[in-house]
Amino acid sequence: MLNQTQTRVLTCIQCGKCAGSCPESGRTPFNIRMLMRKKQFQTVVEESIPWYCTSCGACTIRCPRDVKPSEVIIEMRSALVENGEIPVAIQKALENTFVQKNPWGRSRAKRGAWFEKLDVEVPHVRETESKRLLFTCCIQAYDPRCMVIPQNVAKILNMGGIEFGVLGEEEACCGNEIRRIGESGLFEELQEENKAVFEEYGIKEIIALSPHCMNALKKEYGDLGIKISHYTELLAPMIEEGSIVPERPYNKKVIYHDPCFLGKQNGIFDEPRNILKAIEGIELLEFSRCRDNSMCCEGGGGRMFFEVEATYQRNAEMRVQEAVDKGAEIIATCCPFCVMTLEDPATEKGILVRELSEILMEVL
Amino acid sequence: MNILVFTKRVPATQEEELRIIEEGQGIDLSKVPFKVNDWDNYAVEEAVQIAEKTGGSVTAISIGDAESDEVLRRAIAMGTKDGFLIETEKVLHDPNARATLVSEFLKKEGISYDAIFTGVQSEDDQFAAMGGILSAKLGLPYSSMVIGIDSFEKDHVIARRELEGGLQERIKMTLPCVLSIQSGINEPRYVSIMGIRKASKVERKFFKAKAYGDNISSTIEVVKWVYPPKKGGATMLSGELEGICKDLLGILKEKGVFQ
Repeated sequence: MLNQTQTRVLTCIQCGKCAGSCPESGRTPFNIRMLMRKKQFQTVVEESIPWYCTSCGACTIRCPRDVKPSEVIIEMRSALVENGEIPVAIQKALENTFVQKNPWGRSRAKRGAWFEKLDVEVPHVRETESKRLLFTCCIQAYDPRCMVIPQNVAKILNMGGIEFGVLGEEEACCGNEIRRIGESGLFEELQEENKAVFEEYGIKEIIALSPHCMNALKKEYGDLGIKISHYTELLAPMIEEGSIVPERPYNKKVIYHDPCFLGKQNGIFDEPRNILKAIEGIELLEFSRCRDNSMCCEGGGGRMFFEVEATYQRNAEMRVQEAVDKGAEIIATCCPFCVMTLEDPATEKGILVRELSEILMEVL
Repeated sequence: MNILVFTKRVPATQEEELRIIEEGQGIDLSKVPFKVNDWDNYAVEEAVQIAEKTGGSVTAISIGDAESDEVLRRAIAMGTKDGFLIETEKVLHDPNARATLVSEFLKKEGISYDAIFTGVQSEDDQFAAMGGILSAKLGLPYSSMVIGIDSFEKDHVIARRELEGGLQERIKMTLPCVLSIQSGINEPRYVSIMGIRKASKVERKFFKAKAYGDNISSTIEVVKWVYPPKKGGATMLSGELEGICKDLLGILKEKGVFQ
């Protein structure tokens, strides 16, 4: 009896649309079309290969036969995880998540450190009437570069009179990357833990700060009966209705980078752009590959936690070069992983990367 | 070849700011997660790799409360045949008490073995003594700081010990013996949650510590928990970011770190 994945793989017609849209194929040893072929014949795949996938989802979106190649990769990784044959850095990320509920292994007790010294009140969600939860995300709870994002969004929501609360140390990793690494058991544990907390506090709405968290909560936690959105979906109409008003001009050429998990995987293209367009002085530029064709920054699918073997020009470098060529002064995005991957090459080229909330904080 | 390997559940303290409570009589571990002792993880992996190569089996043993079953399930998922828990609610800090308890347990239960592996030390108590004391109690040869096992034969083992100055010494010991395994001897395999769940189906045996002299008096008594004395020497820079950066550069230049 063939499992569902193998059945799907057998329907692959090798059209190559997956490889044509893959951010890794052709530049690294990873060839998604060839992998599907190997899977059809059940031939051996070298162990390092599945780890190149960034889980951007382009292959699955474009596949005409619904083979879902990115899901096949997750299954290939799962087999390696079950045999314990995984890169050490990935292993550490998983073990950290098991112990501290975040891939960086930082203290769970410090997950709420980002709001401790904030000049606006950030209550526990149990104390709110709305039961509207701001879901922080691991990297934004701990990484000093990204910690500013929840701080900014908390301030902006406060300005707009939107009541919200947080879970602090009761929040566990959403598991989006953990599932894509292939650790389905750990993903289930994280999911169960978060769901139990949502239920305990009667959460009615979740505002996710990271597109990765939003994706997991919205599409992979089952029907929670909870409204889940990315924070840009909340802020865009607030700006349009005038409940928050960008008062200062931002006289810069800004190019917007679509995060894969926000854009091509969840169809949120206009809200971030509408926010930027509402700011006086911004000249909004577009990458040649934008919206559902946006080039992945290579931060997803566990790639934030380890380096692949091959050396090649990283997508983030190509992305930054295009931004420079188009005369952009700022690369704007709204995903912490994209911020982290784009910022290094951007610093080298003398161009700034700004998370959307950082731009908003300068103009509100 | 039958190898017994000890594994301990310890608090994951690396990222925590531990708080002393009850006027020095305890530590607040209420929000601290637990994990397997790092050195024991290497010891389990080494024992399992030897069993995979030479045949035989590995049994994991833990001393602790019922929660310590967690590290036994983990060891089984890594490849040990089974797991024994010597259950005690008392926290046995004293390595002498732990080793006495274990030696009595092994003798009374008539457990046979060709070798006993422990980690070099545990992350919480850091005595690094249990292996040595246990070998003395059992009258067996012992080696600490084992960083390599070159061969594991029917009657002897050839191992490498880690020394200062980047040296290693190769030693030969007759079996049965006790080895304390150093971290870095191998690359412990990843244990998936599914693997741990499957391991839950493998029977673990539970023994009550009091049957083996749990009342053995400790030779070491913890009098008080204290913080290390504060030392001077650190300079805290404060003010605006630009000023801090200038000050920092000044210090680095002054110290000759940055020209």
